[in-house]
Order: sequence, then structure tokens, then C-alpha cells
Amino acid sequence: MEFTLLGGVFVAVLALYATLYWEARRGNAADCTHDLWEIAISAAVAGLIVGRLAAMIGAGVNPITNPADIIIVRGGVATGPAGVGAILTAAWLGRRDLWPVLDGLAAGALAGLGGWHLGCIVRDSCLGTPSDLPWAMTQPGSTVSRHPVEIYAALALFAGAIVLIQLRSRGRLRPAVASSAALAWAGLVRLATEPLRPTLSGGPILWYWGAIAVGVLILVLGIRAVPAVTAGGKR
Amino acid sequence: MRLRWIPIFALLLVACGSSVDISSVPEIPVASSGDVEEMLATTDAPIVLNVWASWCVPCRSEAPLLERAAATAGGEVRFVGLNVRDNQTGAREFIAEFLATAPMEHLADPSGAIPVDLGGTRGVPLTFFYDRNGQLVELHSGVIDERTLALQIDEILRR
Repeated sequence: MEFTLLGGVFVAVLALYATLYWEARRGNAADCTHDLWEIAISAAVAGLIVGRLAAMIGAGVNPITNPADIIIVRGGVATGPAGVGAILTAAWLGRRDLWPVLDGLAAGALAGLGGWHLGCIVRDSCLGTPSDLPWAMTQPGSTVSRHPVEIYAALALFAGAIVLIQLRSRGRLRPAVASSAALAWAGLVRLATEPLRPTLSGGPILWYWGAIAVGVLILVLGIRAVPAVTAGGKR
Repeated sequence: MRLRWIPIFALLLVACGSSVDISSVPEIPVASSGDVEEMLATTDAPIVLNVWASWCVPCRSEAPLLERAAATAGGEVRFVGLNVRDNQTGAREFIAEFLATAPMEHLADPSGAIPVDLGGTRGVPLTFFYDRNGQLVELHSGVIDERTLALQIDEILRR
């Protein structure tokens, strides 16, 4: 029985919970009437299932005739479809209060993703392509030092989450800005770190470009279209 | 009333399944621990030795990944599948269904003793990574993910 994957999930959930708690303490989610924690967990589970199904179909394994394979998460989760599944689930669950919900989840989502990447320490999968940089790491028994690429991604995502929390607590963000900026940042971090990851397929680069494009588009529309909202929900 | 549709639906699902044609898959040669040790001693290429069985659901899940890895790195790395505690028909059906196009060679170990003799366990799947001198670099227990597989292939190629 493997528990390393579970350990990675634990770090991700902990980071998500801590961020939502921090946001609530700062009054950032005062304009949101939904339970963000419930929506976040539901969206994460839905994203995982969609991503796993997409990975199975992509690999030519029929989910109907091989239903037990769905739970073998380590067999692969397609990142792009998982992200789309999670976002659509969150949007559906918070549809009566769409932007406050998505904006309220934005920093938590970044931190949760960062936690998942940081969970590489538990999963023993932090290392990427070879590097001579002073902070490069070596796996036990090896002479090849490598980029700790998952830690780079985690730090960048945590930094994004902290910036969002700070900006939201100052009440300077218009609706849709936090969520679209988070989407674009998550795509950018994955895109920037992808060349440092060992891969067989080149990685889902198009999905990352898609996330950046959609995020930037909504960000620009959000900034232009709607008057600013303070953290307390006052225009 | 709706319940009566359940058996009909189940029947349709079963009907959708098709038996696998194994005529194109050759009989898998039975190997001993000595055969595998000799293969490791005489190899001039790094080896990825994957231990699998047709009754192992996680093995089915990682098979497409191995197929992709073998297609990508098969020119530099030798991919060997070690089928354990299985029968020929089941194993050949598995290859026909999930590893048909993979440039892999397969060996059969009906007793399941070889992985234990090589330092592994009786559990499946297992993946051994050997460098070009036949030295064990990494033993991965359980389903392997793409990053780990790609990283370990890179490691054995650099040694």
C-alpha cells in the first residue's frame, strides 16, 4: 500500500484550508455567502475524477469496461481537463454568487496547487532536469544534480496566493480580477517550470497557454467593465 | 419499473466488450532467476524491467505509460516485461489489449520468484531500473507515474 500520494494530498488540502482560513480572518470573503471550503473540496474531487477519466480515455482504457481503474490516481490525471472540471464545478456550485465565490477561492486554489507541488517532498518526486546550480539536489545514490522543479512551482504559487490575499484585503480588486489573475498565474507557473520537468510526452503545454489566455482575457474585461468592490462588498 | 432496465443495460455493456485476438502475440518464454541475472550481466543497454500480471488492475493502468516510454526511449533503453503468477492466455490477452505496439520483450515467471530474487517483493506492479552495467539504480513499488518513469529513465541513461 502506498501512502506517499495521500501525503501529497494532505499537504495540498492543508495549504488550501490554511489560506481560506487566513482569508476569512482578514475579512476577504465577507461578500461571499457560500461555504468556500465545501465548494473547494467538491471542485477538487470533481476535477480529480474528470482528470482521471480524461487520462484513461487518452490512454485508450475504457472507463465503462474498466471502472476500477478510475481510483488508481497514480496511473495518471490529465491536468487540463482536471482544471476545467474543478473550475466548472466551483462555478456551478457558486452560480448564484459567481464572482465572489471564484474570487474567494482564488488564493486558496493557488495555495492548494502549491501544496500539491510541495508534497513532492513526501512523494519523493521533486527533481527535474540536470542542473549545476548551487541549490540543485541529487537523488540518493546518484551523481546527477537536478533542479528541484516542484519546489520552484510551489514557491511561485504560494507567492501568488500571498499577493492576492494582500490585494484583496486592501479592497482594491474588482470582481473577477482575483480569480482570473490566479488562473493566468497558475498557467504561467506550470508553463515556465514545464521545461525543467522530466517528461515522456512534452507536457500539456497547450492547456497552460489556454489557462493564461482565458485568465488574461477575463482579467482585462473585469478591470474595464465593472466598478471596484471593496473587501466588504461596497461599491 | 425502472429496475428492469438494469439487467438489460448490464447485458448491453457485456455485449460491448469483445474478446481479444491473441494470435499475433507469441507465446511468452518462461524464464528463471538465472536467465534474468544473465541478461543483466550481458546487457550493453540500460534496462527497465516491469513486473506485471494480467489480473493486476494497477498494471493495466500503467501499461499505456510503459508503452509510451518504450516508444520514446526504446532505442536507447531495453524494456522488459516480467509476467508473474499468470497463465499464458491471460498474459497474451493483456499484451494484445494494452501493450500491442510497445517495443518490449516479455518473460514469464509463473512462480513469481524472480522479482523476490532480484531484491523486490511479491507485490505487483514493480519496476526495476538497471544501468548499462546491470546495476540496480532504482526499484519502484506500485504504479509508476510519468514523472518518476521519465526521471529514472534519464538517470539510467546518464550512468
